[in-house]
Amino acid sequence: MKLSYEERDGVVILKPKGKILGGPDATLLKDQLQSFIDQGKTRVVIDLAAVDYMNSTGLGILISTLTTLRKANGELKLANVTEKIQSLLTITKLVTVFDDYETVEEAVSAFPQ
Amino acid sequence: MSLKPGRELRSFPSVPDTVADVDSFLDQRLRDAGFPDELMADVAVSVSEVVNNAVIHGNGANPEKHVDVEVEIAPDRISIAIQDEGAGFDPDTLPDPVAQENLLREVGRGLFIVRAYMDEVHFQMVDGRGLRITLVKIVSDGQPG
Repeated sequence: MKLSYEERDGVVILKPKGKILGGPDATLLKDQLQSFIDQGKTRVVIDLAAVDYMNSTGLGILISTLTTLRKANGELKLANVTEKIQSLLTITKLVTVFDDYETVEEAVSAFPQ
Repeated sequence: MSLKPGRELRSFPSVPDTVADVDSFLDQRLRDAGFPDELMADVAVSVSEVVNNAVIHGNGANPEKHVDVEVEIAPDRISIAIQDEGAGFDPDTLPDPVAQENLLREVGRGLFIVRAYMDEVHFQMVDGRGLRITLVKIVSDGQPG
């Protein structure tokens, strides 16, 4: 997995690429998200367009990020959720937990100004 | 369609990189056998769940302990057996990960996902060795296509 990010209108947009299956990749993603939170950057979009697939470790990181951000009065939004990941969210009933948007622009705009 | 039959066993240490190494091994082996792309994610995710559990819970992330992965390919199905050196667990006593009170738990979904993605999941304690979990995915009726 590769990881890149950008900031737009006070929102961090994180772009993982590849597979999120656990091991060092998952640690990298978790550490990067924690680093944003430590810096007080609590409005985060994860762009999943380039994620081939993820497992329960990836879902655990999304949940951990969501709950940590909410405690810090922030929010996590998902963008470009692929069909495969959407199916995983449906099977695990996590569709009810996450806010997801068709594009990064829509996800960024959804944060209060 | 029909897969090219074969069997291969590999042993991996209980280290963090093993999940990616098993994924690469399996990806190559299944592609060589003609396994369909559209089913690859189901298998890769399921195997990663079982391998993560074997490394972390079964073997306690002890690099001296190994996870054996055996891939068996028949014309109409693949079977992947993952064996650790642990004491095993009762899969029927795990909390329901889709119960409302468990939805925000960070862990506990792996086996649930495996059961959703694979056609068969078998558990076997191997005397003096550890827990062996076998995952089966059926691809077709085995007729040449």
